[in-house]
Amino acid sequence: MGLIGWLILALIVVAVTMLVFVVVRRRRRGGSIIATRSRR
Amino acid sequence: MRLLMTASQIHGLPVVTVRGGEDIAEVRDVIYNPEAGRLVGVTLNKRGFLAGRHREVLPAEAIHAVGQDAVMVLDETSLVTPQDAPADVGHPATERNVLGDDVLTEGGTSLGTVADLVLLVGSSGEVVGYQIDKPGGGSGYIPLPAQLSISGVALVVPNITEEFVQDDLVGLGAAVDEFRVRMGLT
Repeated sequence: MGLIGWLILALIVVAVTMLVFVVVRRRRRGGSIIATRSRR
Repeated sequence: MRLLMTASQIHGLPVVTVRGGEDIAEVRDVIYNPEAGRLVGVTLNKRGFLAGRHREVLPAEAIHAVGQDAVMVLDETSLVTPQDAPADVGHPATERNVLGDDVLTEGGTSLGTVADLVLLVGSSGEVVGYQIDKPGGGSGYIPLPAQLSISGVALVVPNITEEFVQDDLVGLGAAVDEFRVRMGLT
């Protein structure tokens, strides 16, 4: 694999890592608006 | 003057003690009672960039004030374990997250989807309405208590609600009182 191939592979790894990081952080942060159960 | 604030503005706010001025947690989820139109509490995250869920929760009774920049509590004892908190706060019904719910009138007209919750800033914890994304694009506001029923999928409102869809928060403030009079609630 040439230099270009390694560069593309490195870019893919960085992109996937950032995506996982963003998703995990968003899940950890929460941010829901939860209605209580109805008493009726 | 009534200052209105949305739940998305409360998410991530620091929880600060009045007595010590310490920043002890941040707001994660907002939990409200749609029938009473009141905030019942919030779940918390620990402080820090990648910190996760805080073990303790904050019931509405323990909130000193909700401000634009922080949620104030008296001291660290205001945070309670889920076992000691009211059940709705300690073990929230996560399947009843209203974000993205379809807003339907009882006549079957879609007013949009729920985008946010509007609250009164201060110590009252009063919930006054919903922000919605309209079907044709753009956002609007509807007053609460508007819902006849609510689930994690849809929010059914009386037909009259269609007349009270407002374009901005200022309009909502004025519409809430009139809406309640028309609904026979005041």
